[in-house]
Amino acid sequence: MGHLQLSSNWRRMREENHGTSCKVNAAGPKRETTSDWSLLKRIAQEDEEALSALYDRYSGLVFSTAKRILYNSGEAEEVLQNVFYQVWCTAARFDPAKGSFAGWLLVTARNQAIAKLRSKDVHAEDLDENGVWLPVDMESHSDQKLLGEKVRSAMAGVAEDQREAMEYAYFEGISFTEMEQKTAQPLQTLPARLHVAMDALKKVLR
Amino acid sequence: MTKHVRDEELELYALGGMPEAEAQALKIHVAECGECAIKLAQSRGTTALLSFATRQEQPAGTVKAELMARIHANREREQDYAWPVPGRSWEPSEAGKALEPEAKKAGGWWNWIVVPAALALAVLSLALSWQNRKVSQVLQEQRHIAQELIQEREETKKLVDFLAANDTVYIKLIPATAAFATGSVRYNARMGLIAYSAELPSAPAGKSYQMWVVPATGSPISAGVMEKGTLSVGPVWLAHVPLNTEARSFAVTVEPAGGAAQPTGAKVLAGTN
Repeated sequence: MGHLQLSSNWRRMREENHGTSCKVNAAGPKRETTSDWSLLKRIAQEDEEALSALYDRYSGLVFSTAKRILYNSGEAEEVLQNVFYQVWCTAARFDPAKGSFAGWLLVTARNQAIAKLRSKDVHAEDLDENGVWLPVDMESHSDQKLLGEKVRSAMAGVAEDQREAMEYAYFEGISFTEMEQKTAQPLQTLPARLHVAMDALKKVLR
Repeated sequence: MTKHVRDEELELYALGGMPEAEAQALKIHVAECGECAIKLAQSRGTTALLSFATRQEQPAGTVKAELMARIHANREREQDYAWPVPGRSWEPSEAGKALEPEAKKAGGWWNWIVVPAALALAVLSLALSWQNRKVSQVLQEQRHIAQELIQEREETKKLVDFLAANDTVYIKLIPATAAFATGSVRYNARMGLIAYSAELPSAPAGKSYQMWVVPATGSPISAGVMEKGTLSVGPVWLAHVPLNTEARSFAVTVEPAGGAAQPTGAKVLAGTN
């Protein structure tokens, strides 16, 4: 994992581990810049305010992801609630040294929405709390906005068939064999197309 | 350990595009291989960025309230079912200690309710136990009836198969004497089954009519006596004979009541296969 650059997010987490857990913006009105990790630590102590803060931070992203998959606000809100309930129950298991909380949140929302899309009886894959590594800042809405612009710009540079293949896989949970029928593109070329699209996304992280 | 998974495959898996069988194999490998697990976490992180490519919307404000209500409800449930923690739950707080005398007073009248309630519970428990025993008995009887029905169904099925089988032969029995008598036999050597019926005058006192299968070789084989209580369907008697017994003829004789091991009496009906 050494080739990935540590974001300020991770640095902040390390600082917090050394005793400066809550910061206040000195210039202007008070703005809480508490990191995800310190909020998670508080959630593990059953601090509802911390959960509320984390919810405010990411509910839009989680909801949008689920709605993009389900095309149904009610069901997407159900996924949103379940994901944050899971955060409440398992907050202590997150380890800043091993994974990215926000990444886990988004992938879990995606997996739960896909499971809901497929069948009421299908359960989403249990994703390890530290099973996603996404070293980017997204703890404020402005960070998220900036990142969104970068991702959209990167995706705009990807050929349409490559982007389409990626979106079919991620947002519809369609396997290659099904994708071949849906897109009428030869099966052998699909992995390569996805790889190119993934490379474009990776550039966002560099 | 098997060789490492290629980056492209990990990306494919992270995207969710990998067919189920391959995905399972990859999962098994990743569970054992730390290096691939790290790469998979990175691929998952990259795919998570796709969430930013979606149109950003906000959920209804009620969702957060529902989430909090769910958490509260769950907490209350946990408290209701929590085991008492020594030194914590049972130790009254300072405020609780101040209320202790009141609580003790309340305990006095509470006992007047506890004792009758315990008695009522004991009576209820006895009643339930008695009812339980009754239900068990009924259940046992029903089970017995069900077993009988299953057995009967099996027999009927066997009979239907026997009657419908191509190798079941039909033999008309001819009276051996001038007395009025008639009868018929259906026989299947493969199934070892014989069914027969007969119209005969009442057997003499202390005597019974007995059916015999006369094999091509060896002594006659009894196929039962025509008495009440022997296996029959209406006026048709059924009997098992050794499998694959090649029958040369069939005969009905008059024998001592209950039947004989070998024919001893007069032949009243006979038929040749």
